[in-house]
Amino acid sequence: MTEKLLDENIVNQVREVFDQLGQPVEVLYFGRETGCEYCDDTLQLAEEVVAISDKLSLRKYDIDEDAALALEYNIDKVPGLVFAGRDGEQVLDYGVRMAGIPSGHEFSSLIHDLLLVSSRDSGLSQETRQFLKEIQEPVLLQVFITPT
Amino acid sequence: MLLAHQMALESPYVQAEMVEAMEFPELANRHRVSGVPQTTINDGAGTAVGAVPESYLVEEIRKALKIKAS
Repeated sequence: MTEKLLDENIVNQVREVFDQLGQPVEVLYFGRETGCEYCDDTLQLAEEVVAISDKLSLRKYDIDEDAALALEYNIDKVPGLVFAGRDGEQVLDYGVRMAGIPSGHEFSSLIHDLLLVSSRDSGLSQETRQFLKEIQEPVLLQVFITPT
Repeated sequence: MLLAHQMALESPYVQAEMVEAMEFPELANRHRVSGVPQTTINDGAGTAVGAVPESYLVEEIRKALKIKAS
């Protein structure tokens, strides 16, 4: 049996925070069989997190074998995670993604992303919402972070 | 809370990707990532360094897309 990445203490804390989960969230994981240093750990981490709440689920894909789907979700790096909504069988893509393992400080970003997508409410100011309504062309925001 | 992800949730045109810079050094170098978080708009059309306020990122997106202030 593989050793858990999340200890019991963390799991309990996360479970408490997950009380705030609203709508179901589907996590899409994209990995690669070889040459991906952080794929296995990222998948295991995602599996352990979604297991904490029945409002969360995970689908596993391979960026090469499922290339068409990867393209659809704009995944070009592994490990890649998509945080999507789920409505019955339907997956709702909001364009919320992560590239790389969400460990260390970024573990809280992962939890926040799940809560955000689950709420289906951006929480942004009225001014920002109004501005975003004016956008009628694709915008890609890439936020670079480091794990520490 | 990641501002870029909030924006992605709000707009069907916005996609936001959080990138672990150490794992993808080529991409980080290409965008000259110096401080984190650093937000790159449309592959370099705009950039914002640091944990910037909502209004600041809005302005940077506006400039990058050449949308006039309303």
